[in-house]
Amino acid sequence: MSAGSTSDAAFFAALTALPGMGPRRLAAIVEDRGGALEAWTALCSAPSAGPGGGLRIEGVSDSLASQWRSKARIIDVAELWSRHGAAQVEVLTPSCDAWPIDDAFDPYPPSVLFGTGPLTGRQSPAVAIVGSRRSTHYGRNVAATLGKGLAAHGVTVVSGLAAGIDGAAQRAALDAGGRVVGVVGSGLDVVYPRSNARLWADVAERGRLWSETPLGGEPARWRFPARNRIIAALADVVVVVESAATGGSLHTVDAALERDRLVMAVPGPITSPQSLGTNRLLVQGCAPVSELADVLVALGLGHAGNEAQVPAHGAQVAGHLAEVLQAVDYDGTSTDTVIERTGLDVSTVLSRLSELASANHIADVGGWWQRS
Amino acid sequence: MLAVVSSATLSGIAGIPVRVEVHASNGIPGFAIVGLPDAACREARDRVRAALMSSGLDWPGKRVTVNLAPSGVRKTGSSLDVAIAIGLLVATDQLSVETLAGRSFVGELGLDGAIRPVNGILPIVASLVDTEVVVAQSSVGDADLAPDVTVKGARSLRGLIEALTGEAAWPDPPTRAVGSRAMDFCGADLADVRGQPLGRLAVEVAAAGGHHLLMLGPPGSGKTMLARRVAGLLPDLDDHAALEVSLIHNAVGVSLPRGRLIRRPPVRAPHHGSSAVALVGGGSATLRPGEISMAHRGILFLDEMGEFAPSCLEMLREPLEEGAIRVTRSQGSATFPAEFLLVAAMNPCPCGEAGRPGWCRCSDRERYRYGRRLSGPFLDRFDLRVLVQRPAPEAVVDGASGEPSSDVAERVARCRTRSSERGFEFNAAMPDDAMDEFAPLTQEGLGVLREELARGCISARGVQRVRRVALTMSDLAGAEGPIDADRLRTAMNLRAEPSKLLAAVGQ
Repeated sequence: MSAGSTSDAAFFAALTALPGMGPRRLAAIVEDRGGALEAWTALCSAPSAGPGGGLRIEGVSDSLASQWRSKARIIDVAELWSRHGAAQVEVLTPSCDAWPIDDAFDPYPPSVLFGTGPLTGRQSPAVAIVGSRRSTHYGRNVAATLGKGLAAHGVTVVSGLAAGIDGAAQRAALDAGGRVVGVVGSGLDVVYPRSNARLWADVAERGRLWSETPLGGEPARWRFPARNRIIAALADVVVVVESAATGGSLHTVDAALERDRLVMAVPGPITSPQSLGTNRLLVQGCAPVSELADVLVALGLGHAGNEAQVPAHGAQVAGHLAEVLQAVDYDGTSTDTVIERTGLDVSTVLSRLSELASANHIADVGGWWQRS
Repeated sequence: MLAVVSSATLSGIAGIPVRVEVHASNGIPGFAIVGLPDAACREARDRVRAALMSSGLDWPGKRVTVNLAPSGVRKTGSSLDVAIAIGLLVATDQLSVETLAGRSFVGELGLDGAIRPVNGILPIVASLVDTEVVVAQSSVGDADLAPDVTVKGARSLRGLIEALTGEAAWPDPPTRAVGSRAMDFCGADLADVRGQPLGRLAVEVAAAGGHHLLMLGPPGSGKTMLARRVAGLLPDLDDHAALEVSLIHNAVGVSLPRGRLIRRPPVRAPHHGSSAVALVGGGSATLRPGEISMAHRGILFLDEMGEFAPSCLEMLREPLEEGAIRVTRSQGSATFPAEFLLVAAMNPCPCGEAGRPGWCRCSDRERYRYGRRLSGPFLDRFDLRVLVQRPAPEAVVDGASGEPSSDVAERVARCRTRSSERGFEFNAAMPDDAMDEFAPLTQEGLGVLREELARGCISARGVQRVRRVALTMSDLAGAEGPIDADRLRTAMNLRAEPSKLLAAVGQ
């Protein structure tokens, strides 16, 4: 990173710290003024006469412009810059060597990225594993299996560090010693969701964390769709594991299609609301993932059928357990239903369910049993 | 002249014997009560004056001082009225001093001279051992339940004086109603519960082993219905417990059923808006027992537990451990017994549908906040934590009715008998160090526990609780010998981890 770009990056960082400054407005104001430094100077200078105080940018209201002006006067650019340096957060602009995104094919690239962790630059091959935060045990299990398998084949796993599918895939890939890239919607020092704090720290230490938001940025709602487009841009293939009919992962799918990335979906039970989105994608012609090899083939890393890593479904269980296992669905069955289906005594069913759970054939999710 | 009359007043749930000393002398006419009376007690002056005049007795034109000894203890309420009136009559020579020997007087006076009942007559009379106690005629039934006292009733001050001087006979004691003694209250019957095999088992185990029970489930799944049926499974209270329970209930003004001790375990179901004082006891003017003490030897049912103020729930931790609660206020402190079976029901999240993947309408933040309301140490007190699901519609409409409460109660009673043979009232009361002696495990069973500990599915403290539940299940089944792996697995399943039940958000 050259000295010139350093100062430029400092003003980019300061600009992104303004309220409501999304990637589109950032690109617009920088283009309007011919550079980040110029844009910042314009904001800090006294407003000239006329509407918007001389700052007329599409999509920016006069009141937002005046908010920017007052905030810009408070922000100390040098202090903000040294804070990023102290936290070992790199601030990258498209002119940097380590810029991870291929801007030529991106309809809507970021103007600045904040990153931390040893995996610099673009990682390839990379697969994004995305899905619902409110996932089923089945979904998380598939995400973990894929994450672990891809890691074993040297494929980088990109995801959003969210609860549910994202976290499950990244945790499994990390534990398998794989390379993991996380793209987050808040500042790199604002851990969200808190439940994934450990994963967040591990990715920062052994993989790479990317964000479009400077340190201290809150996880605002509108940042997540924007974050999803970066996930799509960083991956060669996007795999959707579970998504409800209107899930946020569908944003990632749209972004991936705009960037010519291959989108694949994991089929699920047609009765499960968490698989409605993915099953619909499959109907629309999206490539299905029935095993790890399907993803590897899409990456050009293998050919179908030569991988036997996906666990055989309906794995062998002892005779007395099989009957109970049969009564458990993939998308959740209550204990009472299992008792009713098997017709066995309550204590027997409870004992066998525990035995199946400790052998990982089923899992207890909020009091519902789901098959793995 | 001086007269000393024995009486008693109520503090918390215990009676305090009080010596009422009445001194009448020449001087400027006046009437003063000293010895820490509260407002109701001080007003006795006006009631006594009117009652004496209505009864055709003389109000002395003398200087009268009434001292309530011990004078350092605060006296509350109107239970000393009769004693003050009698003392005044003796001090002014309208009644002979012999009538006071071996007698105590407890009751409130009306302005017309009627003797009225007071709250807590049973604990008050119980504190007056070895005397004959005169109480209002209508509370003779309750007062007579106290051991080691003779109780006499009086309807009015005039009647009392006539009985004391032998001019008239004491009124006859009220006739005691006869009826079936056992199961005079069992509430609702388990036969009405259709389906719900897991819930039924949990309720049975809770009653048999005295294990605190937490039921989670969506609205309309029958949590409350099940909880209301726990009381019907518990055995009758024994004499000692019945007296304890009756004392507490009588102290807060509950008249005892048909003049007998309370024999059925009480059920208390405080509303989730209840204050901490309402739950654990206290109060500014008088120390009153709270709901947890009213549930002593019975059931405290917290419906919609997630809606209780977290600080109130945390206050239950100490009594759950100690079996008693100590309340301290500026006027002193009181210890109320509070050994209860805690039965709680709540939704797994604010909308109630959490758990079933994809059905919940709450945001992650809402669910997180809801789950945070209950602390880990508090949830740890529950030996049984089960998820109750809505029964299938067919089961509700056409299902056969379940096993009736009477059959289940028989098994529960057998199980409790086995516990008492071991020296504990129920299995949940068994201390950790007795576990190896009374609840040994098979090798396989040990293996299962070790495995689950290693997987992090159970805590070290959880192990002991699971063992107790397994012992109760084994007792219910009438099994002998060490506890096997199957039983432990079942017990573990009845004690689901709260993290799985409450915040089923991602991983």
